[in-house]
Amino acid sequence: MAANGEDVTTVLMIGNPNVGKSALFNRMTGANAVVSNYPGTTVDFTKGTLIEGNRTYVIIDVPGTYSLEPRDAAEEVAVRMLRHRPDATVMIVLDATRIERGLYLALEVMELGMPCILAVNMIDAAHEKQITVDTAELQRLLGVPVIPTTAISGEGVRSLAEMLRKARVADVMDISGRLKGDPPAAGGRACFGCGGCGGR
Amino acid sequence: MKKRLSDLAPDETGIIEAIDGPVHDLMCLGLRVGKTVKMVTKQPVKGPVVVLSGEVEIAMGIGTAQRVMVIVTPQEA
Repeated sequence: MAANGEDVTTVLMIGNPNVGKSALFNRMTGANAVVSNYPGTTVDFTKGTLIEGNRTYVIIDVPGTYSLEPRDAAEEVAVRMLRHRPDATVMIVLDATRIERGLYLALEVMELGMPCILAVNMIDAAHEKQITVDTAELQRLLGVPVIPTTAISGEGVRSLAEMLRKARVADVMDISGRLKGDPPAAGGRACFGCGGCGGR
Repeated sequence: MKKRLSDLAPDETGIIEAIDGPVHDLMCLGLRVGKTVKMVTKQPVKGPVVVLSGEVEIAMGIGTAQRVMVIVTPQEA
């Protein structure tokens, strides 16, 4: 897989069922995971490799789950993967047309304290339904990179790959503070990962 | 008027006022207090109900729907 001594990061794709995780996975890795237009297609995980900016990422496509309290075998796979790989980066995939439901799971995942990055997928479908997602504001509130993507056309997939290295641990208390409009804590993180600065 | 979610008639809309018992599963599906829901279909003989919440259709057992109290939104003429 990776050349000797190279930095390999494991990336877990987590999200609700039917948000396009497998389609995004196929786009990013060139793999051929089964994609269909109904929820619950992925019942086991699929691994693929992505090389971006001299870094190797092992991306794992995980079955969709509504919460971290599994209710069926596929959800169990997803939760087990998260628990057994505490050093992995988590790519949380949301459906842009169903943001609220996705954010519930996203916050649950963020509470685990793993580095996260958010992909707001199906942004084309959202545009069609005249739904606008303010990804910049979402990024400011959550403190993790948020990238709008369309897996089927490939829009945003490259920047998602580039931003993987900017994934960071979200602090749920900070998020709650920002939602209440508290001023940023002194000495807090100034950079939320826009990718422009070459960052920390 | 207050009723159980399970008692909404098809196409009737209501705002969730309270949820009895465990809320976690319903929250995961996008149902929480304050959300507007619309009854889509209701199966007879204690069958499941399907409600629309925003863009999402959510199917649930009648037992779960009975735990959700809604304030019915007056129908537009």
